[in-house]
This record gives sequence, structure tokens and C-alpha cells, in this order.
Amino acid sequence: MGFSSEGKQRLLPEEALYLMECGNLQVFYQDLPFSIQDGYESFLSPSTVSLQQYQVFAHLKRLGYVVHRFDPSLVPSSYTRQLNLPLSRDRAGRQLKRKRSASPPSQSTGDRMQEDKRHLAAPAGSSGTARRTWWDTDDHMERTKRQPDSAPPHWRFSSIHFPDLGSTETPLLTSPDPSLLPGPFPVGGCDIAPWRQKINLRKVKMSAKDQERDEDKHRHQRDINKDREVQQCRNWAEYRELLVRRGRRPTRRHECLWNREVTPLHDPRHPIPTAELLEKIRVTQSTHLLEGVSSIKGSDEWRICFNVYQPDLVAGFKKSNPGKPYTRMCVCSFDGPVPDLRAIKLLTFQSGDVPVVIAVVDQGDISFYTFKDFQLPVDVYP
Amino acid sequence: MGEPEGAPPRPPAVGVSLCDSAPLLWRLEDLRSVRARALVGTLLGSLPRTPRQNLRLGRPLLLLPEEERVLSEEHAAGALPARDQQGGDVELKVRQHQEEQQRSYEEQRVLALEDKKSALLRVRTASPTGESRIRTRDERLHAAQQNFGFPPSAMAVQLSTARAGLAHCSESRALLQADWPIRDQNPRSANRYQVFRDLRRRGFYLTSAGKFGGDFLVYPGDPLRFHAHFIAVCVSADESVCVLDILAVARLGSNVKKTVLLCSAGPDADVLYTSVQWSGMS
Repeated sequence: MGFSSEGKQRLLPEEALYLMECGNLQVFYQDLPFSIQDGYESFLSPSTVSLQQYQVFAHLKRLGYVVHRFDPSLVPSSYTRQLNLPLSRDRAGRQLKRKRSASPPSQSTGDRMQEDKRHLAAPAGSSGTARRTWWDTDDHMERTKRQPDSAPPHWRFSSIHFPDLGSTETPLLTSPDPSLLPGPFPVGGCDIAPWRQKINLRKVKMSAKDQERDEDKHRHQRDINKDREVQQCRNWAEYRELLVRRGRRPTRRHECLWNREVTPLHDPRHPIPTAELLEKIRVTQSTHLLEGVSSIKGSDEWRICFNVYQPDLVAGFKKSNPGKPYTRMCVCSFDGPVPDLRAIKLLTFQSGDVPVVIAVVDQGDISFYTFKDFQLPVDVYP
Repeated sequence: MGEPEGAPPRPPAVGVSLCDSAPLLWRLEDLRSVRARALVGTLLGSLPRTPRQNLRLGRPLLLLPEEERVLSEEHAAGALPARDQQGGDVELKVRQHQEEQQRSYEEQRVLALEDKKSALLRVRTASPTGESRIRTRDERLHAAQQNFGFPPSAMAVQLSTARAGLAHCSESRALLQADWPIRDQNPRSANRYQVFRDLRRRGFYLTSAGKFGGDFLVYPGDPLRFHAHFIAVCVSADESVCVLDILAVARLGSNVKKTVLLCSAGPDADVLYTSVQWSGMS
């Protein structure tokens, strides 16, 4: 509890009052000690902390929670959250961020390395992605060495030699065939030795689990390059034509259905999984709680009062590094209105990934309620 | 203390003070006399001896708006003097306070010395005794008395719950003007108040029933000794009610083994009570 400013230890009114009630603090005013009644009457007011807010505060403190005032400026904005930027104001937050972000990048570089490796080591047939353009020149170069005159380029990748840049045997790439170059460019050989020093040639060790997942992924993925017709395509235009041809084929029996403006949502001769089909014929899209929040104007009617942290023993709470709160608390009473959807959306958005709990004070009783986003479960058996 | 025997026709006024527009009672006698009037209220504060729990709480006592209005209509409540209008010389009070602290310090010092002596004696008697030992013991006791230091910071102080001054002398309670105003006056609370007064007139104790989704919990006697029998829900006599609401409260009432009373205030201070029962026919 407490904070220091201008070199002094200070207490917030609710903290001082709570300590007084626990018998741990004596407050003096004009050299006379405050009674607890004085504390209630002087410290609690609508402009600082209301009685109801104090009731919730004291209730949580008595249960052992660490309760701080909520400062909206300390909550990372959605933009900051999205970019995972470090918090500039809160050193503790930055530390936490750094710690948290330490592991994912290493993993992702691992992934990338793995990917690179696959490209390097892959046999020449499997290219077909965007990377292909990069390799094309090499393919060309190597291929044309052997068959210099093939007017319509129909590449047989299986026969094309692919330079293994990772191996030590080829420290030098020979210069390409000048007939392949778009103009009279003098292109010499390329020494790849300095470049090879820069790349990481260590073998990626995959854990058994990763390997399994990898294999799984490959099993379920139908390789489009294995398709006979696709293999016969010589360029993208032909491939696109093929796709169009395939898409048009089923218009034989129920052609009349597709002739009009209104067409069926789905052609029954295209078998797709049930889940996909249901998704396709869905009329209303389900929305989630945070949808469209950014366009809602904020209001002062509902505001978060407290950050609640779990007690020291459970979470190892440190004041210098409070971390993410356990919950955030709003205070209201049964006399007031129930928060509407707009208020709930705003509160949830403001709080980010920390749940917002609404403490309802009814005289001495305090009950806690949460509004949660609920997605209807979908059970589809294919 | 309790209620004085052969009390004057009107018992002394209950001192109420407002905190953030909530009526709070602070003095022990007031709490007693309010309870004697069959008003329950809610305790809010931490218990000084066991502050870190929520099951048993202590002063202040928060009154329901209806309870506050009962007190003011019976001319039984007055405002506690505020801190700054309590009057008196501040310097004099500071001097009194310091003298009191000094007196308390002396007393505590004597007690602490006694404590230490008895601790020393206990250590002695636990070990085997001898002639020479007794002499050293006396010397030690003497030395302890000579060197005994009791730092002022080790002194225990008392934090008073209610504001000091009025609470000490009981005759000053009569000085309170029983002129607490009726503050809350909107039609909904008028309806509630009529129900509250009627049920109270019939000898029931009432508390707030927010946790049961009603207006009042109705106890046949003191809530410390009885379970509530009814959940009172105040509805207006001439407005239609949604049947789902009725079903919801009736269902809830049967689940917690209480009868739901639909209470509507009638035209001349009487109240109509209706209970809903779910009758299973098989």
C-alpha cells in the first residue's frame, strides 16, 4: 500500500482508512488523533472514494487481495497491445513484456530456419510457390546449358540440376548463359563463399512432437503439384484456364438453376465438409463482444475502479512489478441501472484481456458479477 | 449499560451521521437502542480484534433508507455534531491529549516492568536453586529495575471508533436534537416505505434482500436467531406485472424455502399481500 511522491511516503484515503480500521495506523489532524468516524467522514466523498467503493475495497482487502486504484492511462492501448510495444511509462510492464516476448521470436526464427533449409535441400521439383521466381534464373541457367533451344519453355524440373549452395563443393556459381539474359548484361560468376559464412547451416533439431505435427500437416495437405493436369500447365494462364474449366464442368443437369439471377448457395455435386457447408449457407454471422467497439463513443457512466491482484502467496506479487491484474473491478449498487451492452463492450475493451468484475453493493452485502462473451458451441460430425 | 430503568417517556435520540449521503450510526448506545426498536441495519467496519475477515463486522452501522425514515418519523434521531462544529479549544484538547498519553505511558511502563520481572522469576524457578543463585537473582532483578527502558514508540495506543467527546458522557446524548429530516421522497421509495412500516408494525424484522432479488427479507424475530420466512417484493397495485418476473421470484423463493410476498401499498396506509405458490399437480 501507499506510494511515494516528492520524497515522501503517502497513502491514498481508502488505504489510510483501511489501515486505521485494522489498528495499524494512527492519523493526526491538528495534533489530535483521528477516530475511525473522523476517517470515514473526512476521507470518503463522491469526489475521492465513495462509501460503496470503500466497502468493496475493504471487503477485498480483508479477503487478502492486493487492490490498487485503476489508472486508465496505464492500460496499454489496443494499438500498443496489437504491436506488443513496450510500455513507456511503466518500467515493470516493460520488463514483463520483454520476458514474455523472449521465447516466441526464437521459436519463429527456428521455424524460418527450418523453412530455409527445406528450400535449400529440397529437390528441384517441389518449387511452385512465390519463391520460384527467385530460383527461376538458376533453373534457367542450368537447364539451358544442356538444352539451349526449347522455344516454349516446358520445364522438367526433375531433370534440372539445382545448385546446392549449402554444400562445400560449389563455392563459385558460373556465369549464366547470355542468351537467357534480357539484354546485353555482362554477368560474371558469383562467389558465394562470403555469403555462405553468413548463413546458419546447422541442422534444425525438431522435437518428436514437432516432427509429428509436421508430418500430420503434410499428410492432410493435398499437394497440388502432384495433380497430373496441373503438371501439364506450362504457365499461370494455363493453370487459371484449368481452374475455370474445372469450375464450369458441373453445369449439365441443373443448368437452369444457375442461369438466373438467384442461384443456389451450393452446388451439391461439389462435396465439401459439413462444417464448411454450414458456414457457407449461414445467414447471420455471430458477433463477438469486442466487435465494433472502436466506433463507440466513450462515456463516464461506467468506469473501472480497482485493479485486483492475487495475494502475495499465490502469485508472488511484487509492487515494483505488479504484472497483469487478476481482475478489474467496477462498483455499482442495486439502485442504479444494469450496464447496457454498450457499457459492457467499452469496459471489456478498456480492460483488454483482464476480466472485468462488477461488484454490486446492497447495503452491507457485496455480490460480484461478470458478463462474459459466449460463443455457442458447434458440434459438427463430418 | 443498556436501556436505563424507568426511562423518560422519550428515550434519548439516536445520533446519525452522514458519510457520502449514507446514514451511519457510530455510538454503541445508539446501536443498542436501534436494535431495541427492531431495526437491524448492516455493520460495515472491520472488527478491531480480528480485522481480516468478512464474516463478522463491526461499527459503523449502516441504516436502510426505510429505517432512517422510521427513526426520523418517530423523532428518535438527531445529527451527530460534525468534527469542526464540535467546538472547544483546540489547544486545550491537544494538551489534554498529551497529558492522557503521558499518563498512559506511565501506566504501561509499570506494567511492562512487572512483566519483565515475572519473566525473570519464571526463568529462575525453572532452573535448580541455590544460596548463591538467589543472591544473583536479586542482583539481576535490581539491575533490571535500574536499566529498564520503555521506549515511547513501544506504547500501545487506542484508536477510538466513534468520535470522542459525546460518547463518553451519557447525559450529553439528551442534548441531541431529534430533528433528523426525511430525506428520501420519491414515489417508488414511498411505496417501499409503506410496506416496510406495515411489516414492522406486525412485529417482523426486515433487512435488505438484494441477494434474493427482492426488496426485503422478513424475519419473524431477530435475524441472529431466526431464518427469514418471506421475501417481500414491492409491486405497485395498479400496474401490470410481467408474468415471467413473477415466475422467476416464485421459483427462487421455493428454491430457498421462503415464501415470496408480493406487497402492494393500498390507498390508506394498508398493504395488500399476495403469495405465489407453485403447485405441482400429478
